[in-house]
Amino acid sequence: MAKVYTGRDGRLLIDGVEQIKVTNWQLTGSLEMLETTTLGDAQRSYTPGVQEFNGSATLLYFNDGTGRNDAATALKKVLRVAGVNSTDTVDLRLRLVEGTVNHDVRLTAYVTSVSFGASVGEISSAQISFQATGALSEVTI
Amino acid sequence: MAYPTLAPTTRNFDAGQYPFKTFSSLSGKEVRILYGSKRTGMTLDLAYDNITDATADDFVAHYDETKGGFTAFDLPAAAKTGWTGATSAIDAASGNQWRYAEPPRITSVRPGISSVTVKLVGVL
Repeated sequence: MAKVYTGRDGRLLIDGVEQIKVTNWQLTGSLEMLETTTLGDAQRSYTPGVQEFNGSATLLYFNDGTGRNDAATALKKVLRVAGVNSTDTVDLRLRLVEGTVNHDVRLTAYVTSVSFGASVGEISSAQISFQATGALSEVTI
Repeated sequence: MAYPTLAPTTRNFDAGQYPFKTFSSLSGKEVRILYGSKRTGMTLDLAYDNITDATADDFVAHYDETKGGFTAFDLPAAAKTGWTGATSAIDAASGNQWRYAEPPRITSVRPGISSVTVKLVGVL
């Protein structure tokens, strides 16, 4: 059946936990190209280099009443007294749901920047950016 | 093994010099004595970017075969790829051959891919 995906189908899982109050996520994949053009060539040629994956997400700064605040948990990946070390990665799943079928991109990443604030007349939210390390561990899109 | 038959990514050629010596007097008069009729000392810098490691190691094999800069050799026509002038203009001058001025440098770019730079000098 034909289907157009919308934000209603989007999910974000961090370390296996579906995040609450996610307003958007975005993933960018890129491939570095290495030029192999030599003297005498009339057209440029390339060979694949290394891949890179990064993205961002926005979560409402929301306490569900049980003390759970996913935005705060994400913010604390960077906003912390102790420094960040090499084990402070997160397991991210960027998901689009189609009934019982999940279309996932799964990756291990570092949260590289966070920002949040409060403004009059606006809901507070947290923006996080992440940088994948290593290869994607699952792609079922 | 012969020098790898491969078109370079970049090529820099210096035409060298004829062997002469200059003597200058206090008056400014200059006398030049020519010691040979053949141009020599031309240099050729070749870069081979993003080639396979298997190709890159051919340069080291050739460097070994020529005992580094000890043995002179001729370059294949592929080294002059892209040059539309007289091929002799960017080659070792008549009577010269090339030898390594420096060891080939291999820069690993990614697994299986490397870049190689070669510096050659023309010698009689």
